[in-house]
Amino acid sequence: MEEILRKKAKELLESGEVKVVIGYGWNRQRTKTTPVFITDAADADRLVWNPLCVNNLSVYLTRKFKDIQAMGKPAIVAKGCDIKNIVVLITEAQFKREDVCIIGMTCEGVVYRQELWKGELKPEIMPTKCHNCDVRNPHLADFVVGEKSSFTPPETPAGMVFDKIKALDSRGQADKWSFWINEFSRCIKCYACRQVCSLCYCERCITEKNMPQWIETSAHPRGNLSWNLTRAMHLVGRCTFCGECERACPVNIPLNLVNQKMIQVVKDAFDFRSGYDEKTHPPMIVFSPDDKDDFIK
Amino acid sequence: MADRILKKDNLGKLVASVNGNGGRFIAPVLDARQVVFKDVTKAEEIVTEYILARNSYKEYVFPQTEVVADFTVEKHGVDLKSREVEARETVVFGARPCEAASLSSLRAIFTWDYIDEFYTKREDSLVVVTVACTKADDACFCTTVDLSPESRAGSDLYLLETESGDYMVEAITDKGRAFVEKYKGAFTEGSGKAKTLVMPEKIGTIDLEKVSARLKDKNHYDDQVWARLTRKCIGCGACTFVCPTCHCFDITDEGTQFAGERRKNWDACQFDTFTLHASGHNPRHYQHQRWRNRFMCKFNYYPEKFASKGCVGCGRCIRVCPVRLDITEVMEEFSR
Ligand code: SF4
Ligand code: SF4
Ligand code: SF4
Ligand code: SF4
Ligand code: SF4
Repeated sequence: MEEILRKKAKELLESGEVKVVIGYGWNRQRTKTTPVFITDAADADRLVWNPLCVNNLSVYLTRKFKDIQAMGKPAIVAKGCDIKNIVVLITEAQFKREDVCIIGMTCEGVVYRQELWKGELKPEIMPTKCHNCDVRNPHLADFVVGEKSSFTPPETPAGMVFDKIKALDSRGQADKWSFWINEFSRCIKCYACRQVCSLCYCERCITEKNMPQWIETSAHPRGNLSWNLTRAMHLVGRCTFCGECERACPVNIPLNLVNQKMIQVVKDAFDFRSGYDEKTHPPMIVFSPDDKDDFIK
Repeated sequence: MADRILKKDNLGKLVASVNGNGGRFIAPVLDARQVVFKDVTKAEEIVTEYILARNSYKEYVFPQTEVVADFTVEKHGVDLKSREVEARETVVFGARPCEAASLSSLRAIFTWDYIDEFYTKREDSLVVVTVACTKADDACFCTTVDLSPESRAGSDLYLLETESGDYMVEAITDKGRAFVEKYKGAFTEGSGKAKTLVMPEKIGTIDLEKVSARLKDKNHYDDQVWARLTRKCIGCGACTFVCPTCHCFDITDEGTQFAGERRKNWDACQFDTFTLHASGHNPRHYQHQRWRNRFMCKFNYYPEKFASKGCVGCGRCIRVCPVRLDITEVMEEFSR
């Protein structure tokens, strides 16, 4: 797969069709992958593809990265789950489909964290998203690299995140509250969850608006709660469960639980799942007279 | 040479005595599947199998958020009352030799043009009990910045683990000696066989002198190399917040129109708002320029201004980085 990927990247750069290929490369010790930006066809051999390719590189397509946008049309190496975020970016008019060349990688799963890699991809080191993945064959791409995957996801989603949500749902209000207060208490306000998310593309986040200061910047319980709730709310109906925020969080806050719960709520309320169709607008940005209003009491 | 032995069975006694004296005992514990420095009350909570705690112990001398003053808005104007720092004896047990060396770097900045008592009072009552490393990972690079598991700088007590799980104690500073004297019930005579220390391989392609010399040359300021190596940085604060030498903070007011508190909160040069002017202009417009600042701070400004190190090679920033931006790769580039 790597060879085909490199060849494709080379062609794209040589023909001038794209100016940069955003993909994965090795770190110095070749123990971890890290994002690379290939602008010269001669460097295309730096591209790698393996189960350590965890990052959702679609974040680099956003307006947070003006320098990358200025390089010219990009090609991006993307797994199916990463493509979901690209789809959301298109539906939210961040760029047009033709503005990006998607090199879709067929995928048999990645590791939850690179540190877990011991040379073999075992189910227990894969994130919940991979066990339930219905986009192992990329659903939107200019080219697909790799053998077709024959994986079919379980009918009822299964895995750690779903189990934990079920367990939490069965607990009382007060219990749930104390669970989250405790989890959020560890937050150090590094905003890695926001920065790594391709859907958190605001140039001025609400946390940075300080006249007045809507969200307290202090990492005390009040500030942490307001930040984490705000982050969650701003991703309702948009988050694709790519898991980047949880992976990036240095203090292991289980953000995937928040994200997946929101996804379920949106699915129940609007029968909508984000990231699948670049022509359908997400429910939170459209209005229709027959929208449900039974929550207004 | 070991002065004393701290038997593992006596560790509980030490924890209890420090806490009993109104002090704090900070040690690595398991919290949310990570090894983290936290207050402990029982020796059983302390983890011994770890490379480095996820957080730096700097938060015990330089808290992530703290109130420095209270204010009320009166008819005649604003009444601002400064808070007093209440520094208690604080023992950090299980620091590693690299991060022990970071305290002098923090002190240098917090006493540079202004004596920040919120820092100095806490540091004065901090006792650093270092346990030398028997394990390292691919992010550790102390030996490349001229430190090693054998470095004593910054430690008040320097401990070697023995094969039987006890500690051989070497008192490095007067503070350390006074501590052993104060809690002499926990420290006994004796000896043991120390476990072999790990020795991370020095990164041969890095030359600190060259790095500094090249950074001094202002022509490198706008070098394309910054963008090339660091455009992948997503601008979170993770690396700076876990770094034992990063020290930037922001002052913010919280409260109502009439009263509130003034807080000192960690800030990070990696945030785009760090240098954003009120006019809307940002002198560090691109993320790679912010990353350049972090590197310049550690390998140019620090060596130029202070005798202490800007980076102690603990590797925390590498481990925590969501895009695995490795500071040693940039050091390597600037060693050419
Ligand atoms: S969710 Fe699917 S596409 Fe994404 S990494 Fe897992 S298996 Fe691959
Ligand atoms: S899982 Fe996290 S990073 Fe991914 S889209 Fe959702 S909020 Fe963003
Ligand atoms: S990544 Fe984690 S610690 Fe950082 S701001 Fe987000 S929730 Fe808080
Ligand atoms: S820059 Fe990185 S390696 Fe150096 S002291 Fe800070 S966290 Fe440790
Ligand atoms: S170097 Fe890594 S950890 Fe530091 S700001 Fe950039 S992305 Fe975040």
